[in-house]
Amino acid sequence: MTVIDAQGLVKRYRTGGQTLYALAGIDFALEAGEFVSIMGPSGSGKTTLLNILGLLDTPTEGTVLLEGQDVTGLGDSKRTALRKRTIGFVFQHFYLLPTLTAVENVEVPLLLDSDPQVKKRARTLLERLGLGERLDHKPDELSGGQKQRVAIARSLINSPKVVLADEPTGNLDSETGRQILDEFRRIADEDDVAIVAVTHDDLVNEYVDRTVHLVDGTIGRERKNGG
Amino acid sequence: MAGRFFPAALMARRNLTRTKMRSLLASLGIVIGVVAIASLGMFGVALQYSFTQNLGNVGNQLTVYPNSGENITELTERDMRTIRREASPTATVSPVKTRVEPVSYNREDAVRETIYGIENPGELYEAKEGRVSPFRSGALVGSSVAETHDLHPGSQITINGTSVRIRAVLEEGDAFSSTNPDNRVIVPATSFSQSGYSEAYVIESTGTQANETAMGIRDSLNDREQRVFVQELGSLVDTIEEQFQIINTVLAGIASISLLVAGISILNVMLMSTVERREEIGVLRAVGYQKRDVLKVMLMEATLLGFLGGIAGVILSLGAGLAINHYAVGDAMAVFRLPNAWYVGAAFAFGVLTSIVSGLYPAWKAASEEPVDALRG
Ligand SMILES: Nc1ncnc2c1ncn2[C@@H]1O[C@H](COP(=O)(O)OP(=O)(O)OP(=O)(O)O)[C@@H](O)[C@H]1O
Ligand SMILES: [Mg+2]
Repeated sequence: MTVIDAQGLVKRYRTGGQTLYALAGIDFALEAGEFVSIMGPSGSGKTTLLNILGLLDTPTEGTVLLEGQDVTGLGDSKRTALRKRTIGFVFQHFYLLPTLTAVENVEVPLLLDSDPQVKKRARTLLERLGLGERLDHKPDELSGGQKQRVAIARSLINSPKVVLADEPTGNLDSETGRQILDEFRRIADEDDVAIVAVTHDDLVNEYVDRTVHLVDGTIGRERKNGG
Repeated sequence: MAGRFFPAALMARRNLTRTKMRSLLASLGIVIGVVAIASLGMFGVALQYSFTQNLGNVGNQLTVYPNSGENITELTERDMRTIRREASPTATVSPVKTRVEPVSYNREDAVRETIYGIENPGELYEAKEGRVSPFRSGALVGSSVAETHDLHPGSQITINGTSVRIRAVLEEGDAFSSTNPDNRVIVPATSFSQSGYSEAYVIESTGTQANETAMGIRDSLNDREQRVFVQELGSLVDTIEEQFQIINTVLAGIASISLLVAGISILNVMLMSTVERREEIGVLRAVGYQKRDVLKVMLMEATLLGFLGGIAGVILSLGAGLAINHYAVGDAMAVFRLPNAWYVGAAFAFGVLTSIVSGLYPAWKAASEEPVDALRG
């Protein structure tokens, strides 16, 4: 099943009389359970693409279908509601709330719903990610890998269809990076969640189904893993 | 609703504890503002209370004066008959003559003073020493005069060269009453050669009755020209109380300036915090927080600051109120009177309100930042 289908994405920025194409016509489709990496030099438009796929940003041209529904022209509040329902984010700098414990951080996306089930689910997720002993620790009491696992748990709390990760291993050593990538692989396989990871790290490509190369806002050669 | 606000409150509370010192200082401003408003308000109430205590029961008195602006220098016998007719049957109506004469006490140099001629002073005054009635000769003196010149019944004073015997020293009157005899020398009206009166006192049994009589007198005597003025002490008291109200309002207004300052400091703290937490707020928006959710979390912080400061302020104000009332009214427990509760409540409400209003702009700013921009760092 195609979760995201983006056609002809263009993102233009106008700065000081110059027009900059962050994305210059990109088609990108994502199947459920697929783990895809996006690679490319700095400034090639990786984050821009990820933001558009995650409904954080809107393309200048082109269409985005999310589970078959055209979401291109939606306003901020509708996009926000869709993000909450179908999308999970993992960031390079983890971006955990330093005042909240691990469990509370995982609950954050659904915190305002006051659903008593959420806490239980947050605990289960953290236990699955091997953080059962660290549930009530604050982020500054956790290692980088542990923080990123909390962030992954947070991205899964709403049972998303897609998890978008911008350089999820960028701040981790390779051993910890592998653990995180193992988690992603497992989530894609077991939960049928589609995962897109932007990365500079070749390590990632050992785990993904395919890699998309971006160059100057266009898709370069595409490499399929394993066949 | 409370359920929906609770998680926001959790986040807000944790955020405030993150920068404890800063939050503490910000709500200290609110504490000071609340204490200033509440204690200045209570101070005004205490002033007013001690004033009314001193004022006594003067609401039922009227004084009728001739209108010198219309060249009417005295009240005639006819005027007096009209006044008597308008007053209720149980009222005391007391015409008063005055003249200025040289008076000398204890063989000192004579000083020109106003001498009051009253026919039946027994209707108005009680004696502290001596006897007021019958009053056919001699003089009555008020307590201040007696004290200054060491006069007692039987003492002699000299009025316009004639030696006069003191009959009685009068009881102190109400401070604001126009019949107050404390500084007066009173002689029988028969000793006056003039026939008109310079004023007349009417004492009714109640304030409402006094008011009706005042209107009646005005209607009858002033229908063609403004012959007389009728001064109602009751309305004077009202006027003074209005003045106190104004003073209180002004005091509270001055105190509100400190709340304004507190508001600015909260605005500052919240703005700093939105800048520092730009990315966090971006993350919240990314994971599905609507603008109004962010607004709610931020406003919750401001509200908590306000509540914190407000509650501390109320506690301190009650302490200040106990002290104020102890010294101004002589009864610390007088702090628990209704108008005080009103001031303390209003100060608290203003404190919280100031805090929320100050939080509005930073909260709005945080909520309207594009998450993409915030997350780019
Ligand atoms: N708001 C903006 N205004 C103007 N230009 C922008 C804006 N956002 C991004 N760009 C430009 O768009 C291009 C693509 O940016 P993007 O962040 O997608 O790159 P990236 O591939 O993620 O790079 P990196 O690997 O360094 O993170 C860059 O040249 C960037 O300068
Ligand atoms: Mg990037």
